[in-house]
Amino acid sequence: MEFKDYYAVLGIDRSATQDEVKRAYRKLARKFHPDVNKEEGAEEKFKEIGEAFEVIGDPEKRAAYDQLGKNWKSGQDFQPPPDWDAGFEFSGAGPREDRDYSDFFEQVFAGMRQRQHAPRGGAEFHARGEDHHARIMVDLRDVFQGATRTISLRVPEIDQSGHLNIRDRTLNVKIPKGVSEGQTIRLKGQGSPGMGRLPAGDLYLEVSFKPDQLYRVSGRDLYIDLPIAPWEAALGASVKTPTPAGAVMLKIPPNSFQGRELRIRGRGIPAAEPGDLYAVLNIVLPPADTDKAKKAYEDMARDLAFDPRAKFGA
Amino acid sequence: MTEKGSPNHIPEIVEAGATVTLDELCLSCKVEQEWILELVEHGAIEAFGHSGSDWQFSHVTIVRVAKAKRLERDLALNMPGVALALELLDEIDGLRARLKAAEGRR
Repeated sequence: MEFKDYYAVLGIDRSATQDEVKRAYRKLARKFHPDVNKEEGAEEKFKEIGEAFEVIGDPEKRAAYDQLGKNWKSGQDFQPPPDWDAGFEFSGAGPREDRDYSDFFEQVFAGMRQRQHAPRGGAEFHARGEDHHARIMVDLRDVFQGATRTISLRVPEIDQSGHLNIRDRTLNVKIPKGVSEGQTIRLKGQGSPGMGRLPAGDLYLEVSFKPDQLYRVSGRDLYIDLPIAPWEAALGASVKTPTPAGAVMLKIPPNSFQGRELRIRGRGIPAAEPGDLYAVLNIVLPPADTDKAKKAYEDMARDLAFDPRAKFGA
Repeated sequence: MTEKGSPNHIPEIVEAGATVTLDELCLSCKVEQEWILELVEHGAIEAFGHSGSDWQFSHVTIVRVAKAKRLERDLALNMPGVALALELLDEIDGLRARLKAAEGRR
């Protein structure tokens, strides 16, 4: 187990006042909140910040942590000494049930959890299980082929003796064909189990696309940069163009210009009303690195009387 | 625990057209009716139909309410703050989409 330097996580000094701790935490929490920050790793960072604040933001836990952490550096292999927390009373709330904590936190502050109470028995109790929300990253290709993806979730569960356990749960999810970015998919009955006779909750997954090397996604439409030669743009041509559902021959009209968008209908994200694929023309000049190539450019310069800067005036 | 060899779960796409009731919304997101009422009053979510128990919400509202709850809890926002954050996040999503499309036109 590695020692966690919670002060470094919050970017503060060990001598920071509780007010300074709070300010640092709030600022970082706003910045890395996974609903605000869509970048990869934001969620892990947010959890780390939350965990650090739970300890450093609470004067009792902070005192215990300071006592413990005097001689440790971040990342060092760490074992808590036995009975290290003797003499510290934790009167505050225990760890939040819906969070998963680092091994370090579990080991050091787990004691507080044991003191939580099990749900009281007695009268028969019925409640529908809670719905869960998570995010899923999918490949663009999965959306076309409807692939099956395995996702891992960490689910907090309270066992019969009232202890909280984090259970790793793996689900095979069939990515529905034609799901688009920002849409949500629902897995019925995959949330928390229900109590008594009522059914389990559902699992909602918000879909984001992983960036694709070839295609950009905009709603249901896709964009691809299509490199073409100057003569293909000028004279027109038929060009083999990749699409996620297989290559097609695309007709380039004569006198096409740089950046022109050619629409291939229905080749975007599949759905009842499928999106379109736009090929964005990118004219690539052949290098003038042989006598023959130079001659061709010289001939053009002589024969075409072309002034690309005519707009500038004389 | 890994559920090896478990069957494939086939999800459904949550469509904007489908609706949920106020009770279903509260149950799904573990929030009180009053809290949903406040979200509606601040214009953070939209309700259809008359008031209270007759209310219908688009199914996608579930995701929005869950997000609102996370923002309130994690960032200690009050209701106007939640409503503002949701609105700004919508705007950022819109701008990102336009930026992506514009990059396609470069």
